[in-house]
Amino acid sequence: MNAISFSKVTRAYGDVLAVDGLDLDIPPGRTVALLGPNGAGKSTAINMLLGLLRPTSGQIKIFGETPERAIARGDVGAMLQEGTLIPELTVAETVGFVRSLYPDPLPLDEILRMAELTDLAGRRAGRLSGGQTQRVRFALAIAGAPRLLILDEPTAAMDVESRRAFWDNIRAYAAQGRTVLFATHYLEEADENSDRVVVIARGRIVADGTAAEIKAGVGGQTVSFTLGTQSVAGLDALPGVMAVEITSGRAVLRTSDPDATVDALYRKTTLDVRGLEIAGADLEDAFLALTQES
Amino acid sequence: MLKHIKIEALRMLRNKRYAVFVVAFPLGFYLLYSNLWGDQVDATTGVKASVILMVSMGAYGALASSIMSTAVPWAQERESGWLRQLQITPLPSWSFIVTKLVVSMLLTLPALVLVGLAAVLTQGVSLPPGAWAGLVVAMWLGVIPFAALGLAIGSLTRPDTAQPLAMIGMFGLALLGGLWIPLDIMPETMRSIAKVLPSNDYATIGWQIVAGETPSASAVLGILGWGVALIAFAIFAFRRATVRA
Repeated sequence: MNAISFSKVTRAYGDVLAVDGLDLDIPPGRTVALLGPNGAGKSTAINMLLGLLRPTSGQIKIFGETPERAIARGDVGAMLQEGTLIPELTVAETVGFVRSLYPDPLPLDEILRMAELTDLAGRRAGRLSGGQTQRVRFALAIAGAPRLLILDEPTAAMDVESRRAFWDNIRAYAAQGRTVLFATHYLEEADENSDRVVVIARGRIVADGTAAEIKAGVGGQTVSFTLGTQSVAGLDALPGVMAVEITSGRAVLRTSDPDATVDALYRKTTLDVRGLEIAGADLEDAFLALTQES
Repeated sequence: MLKHIKIEALRMLRNKRYAVFVVAFPLGFYLLYSNLWGDQVDATTGVKASVILMVSMGAYGALASSIMSTAVPWAQERESGWLRQLQITPLPSWSFIVTKLVVSMLLTLPALVLVGLAAVLTQGVSLPPGAWAGLVVAMWLGVIPFAALGLAIGSLTRPDTAQPLAMIGMFGLALLGGLWIPLDIMPETMRSIAKVLPSNDYATIGWQIVAGETPSASAVLGILGWGVALIAFAIFAFRRATVRA
């Protein structure tokens, strides 16, 4: 049974389709990134998944149940984009209360340790810094030991250092066989922390696979060499090549199969190939290519 | 739910505004007024002003507490995302509003108890045990309509609107209901307004109990009617505020 299943889910705001026929199945135990630019429909999809918004049409299931049932059973924990705490309550009181709402929560000490809050347990929420507040919100998301953890742009307000620590904690949580779905518009974050990336733009899925597959899918690698005054004729016919660009005397071949391209470059042309370079385009290129189409 | 009640009560007790308006105000004014006029005796009932003032200030404290502990905190929770945080836990939403109501009632106790203690200790007020018991129960259950009003305000408005509305509701009900100034010295129009307000019914029940009378049907029915209407309104408003769009 899938941890998450969207089937033909649409959500309209007036005439605008924020989510447009979303079909997505996520098996248990995976860590999946929902990657997309602002306004792509990520938060709408997540709010529907959490039962906070109703789909205009289509069906969403969490472990085979409706989102409301799954939440009532304590299967879901989430960190939403916004959310402040009750300023008069301490970290331990806040986390202790939320964990008590779940049928089978993690021990309080363990939650505080995993969220690196042990030293702040007695501090009132009103006196926490932004990063510390985020850690408390993470603690609230994992407090009930949910099988499914959902994070909506969790690191938006964090600096680089806290971001790294945060992902270490998420990985530790996911390593216990749990399913994690996170939305982000940071490419590196999706690349480094997920084993599957679902790219979403204008409410639709435009790519779905591992970060490497997505890079390759848009001809993510380049073969380049010094062309000098030699002719470009025939370069675009080499195996794997999808596009040819000449910039300041260098030929840049975008290819889906750099090995075949290089092989053919030496064997099948009479070009004098010097200064050969093969580069993996980063996910950024792939992302821009995918989300700017049409 | 017990844990929820505990943390909700804890956070209000730590809130300075709550302590000032709800505990210090009625207590301070009771001490002041009863020192000035405590020995005067009501001509018709023969009850000393120190006893009537105990009921008035206790009623004001309880009324203020029940509105203060509901309207603004609840509006803030909706706005700040705390409500959403709880909506994605197994906590059912009926438990949420019931907890708010229970906590609001618990939080009226400090004002009621402190004003009562002040009356006993500084003015030597004494009542038969039955009257004390009746008074406490009546004053305590009687805040339900006001707590419901506070919850409705918190459900329908944003914090910056809820704040003045709660203040207006709290002082308006207290003033027009005759808690601060006796009805007898009010102009005719104000007196006719006071007669239909739940705050006047609420205090009247208390005054009648300390005078050794049985609470009048008009006051009891009045507050019950308001209670039913305001609870229905609060439930409607709460559902509107928590509906999944």
